[in-house]
Amino acid sequence: MDPMEVFKIEVTGEEDFGTKKYRELIMDILQDLGLIRSIGRLYVYLDIMEPVFAVFGLLRTGIPPLTVKDVGDVLKTEGGYQVKINDEEHMSDLLKVLWGHYGRERVEQPARDVVIIASDKDPSGLMVADLEAEFLQDLTDGLVRIAPEGFRNRRNEMSKESFFFIAAEETLAPELIAKTKEKIREMQNA
Amino acid sequence: MLEPVMFTGGLYKHDLVVELVEDLGGYVLQKNVTQSEVILLILVPSEDKPVLEALIKELRGELVRAPLAGTEVAVVTPTLAIHHLPHTACDIAEYLRRHGSKTNMMGLARGVGREIAQINEYETALINEHDAAVFIFGNFRECIRRKESLYRNITVPVVVTGGPEIDKCELPYAFEYVPSIGRVAHRARKATEIGTLDSIIESVGRALDKTRTDITKDPLTTSPPRVMDAVREQVPEVEYSYSPLPIALNLTGVRVKLPYDGYKDAVSAVTFDEGVKLGEIATIKPSRMKDYILVRILPASETGYVF
Repeated sequence: MDPMEVFKIEVTGEEDFGTKKYRELIMDILQDLGLIRSIGRLYVYLDIMEPVFAVFGLLRTGIPPLTVKDVGDVLKTEGGYQVKINDEEHMSDLLKVLWGHYGRERVEQPARDVVIIASDKDPSGLMVADLEAEFLQDLTDGLVRIAPEGFRNRRNEMSKESFFFIAAEETLAPELIAKTKEKIREMQNA
Repeated sequence: MLEPVMFTGGLYKHDLVVELVEDLGGYVLQKNVTQSEVILLILVPSEDKPVLEALIKELRGELVRAPLAGTEVAVVTPTLAIHHLPHTACDIAEYLRRHGSKTNMMGLARGVGREIAQINEYETALINEHDAAVFIFGNFRECIRRKESLYRNITVPVVVTGGPEIDKCELPYAFEYVPSIGRVAHRARKATEIGTLDSIIESVGRALDKTRTDITKDPLTTSPPRVMDAVREQVPEVEYSYSPLPIALNLTGVRVKLPYDGYKDAVSAVTFDEGVKLGEIATIKPSRMKDYILVRILPASETGYVF
């Protein structure tokens, strides 16, 4: 069963095998990059004779930004705060944010997973990483991987709720983009 | 007739196998040592194979037929980007290696796309130095049909692989077409996928057999393994080459992995027991692969004798 609510793929011509395989390929790549849970609906249109490849997707929004309290336990100590890191993946981002906010002289790291801040201001709410921006970067990477490789002329329109990706061998003329968007709209309404 | 086989066993006492093969008049084509294991690719006279089997049984080793041993196969993908590698291309290359072939993976510079795919003269010449080529294409029928221009000028047999079922007569320039292995984003692990790899091996085997049959119509002056042995003996510098296989065998000659300018005369002067020099019975030219030496043995129709 697909983890997405809707996953439609349409390929022109007698390309039943290609359609089936492309479906598997898209699932494999999205799963590899850990993106599949964040996409709600996906429409893929491929015209081999043109040739043009397009993907339109609706995102499951609402990935909150990562704050200091998400990556570690914040404790009030004498003369400041101590952060005990649980998630080392974002360590460098955390230090960068703390240095920027408090200044290097007030941030000390006596052990690998402990950061001491000499300030009365609580760091819990500071934003360490914008996960949504990271997700959109990964999504773009995934779409480039999914598109057939010879389709080097690409255009990617992304918003917080949806994305539209189109790739072709020839120059992307506005008429071609409009025509492809129309095709995807037809798929949505079908 | 020499039979290609592969020995897998312990490093301990494997010298006995090498010695026996040499005594029987066979050739050790390649030796790979991996920690305490050794893999030998061997050509052994078929009538003496039971003697070798008996020794290998005693050593608790394994002897299997390696139908592709002594051949070089090019695995060609439209590019070396993530779209084509690693899964399909590496699976096919590895599977060919397991059956004894020397496999080279090649990515074309501009092989992508349906309309824009192209191959240049250098790439064509490099593929032509091999005994057979496997072209790996994708999932769409129309693209596979259009990409015929990539292998139209290749003189060695080309096995084309792709996803959909396509009738062979639609691809007149391909030797054979193997379906159900288009672009995938995972390693071959299901029984059907492994089965497809087997059919590629069978197809490559048939392509090589065709070349072998063509050669028997006008036999080579001497056999490539004999040239390999003579070069190894008389040009000792080849053992210091950093390549894992310093002399690569083809069906019609060998590739000596030494710089062409420095060693072409030494290779040309290699003399056989019959008093014939290699330069007299073979063309020695620069290979398209790095600056190696390509030796192509002339057929009997040109030299007038076979030994």
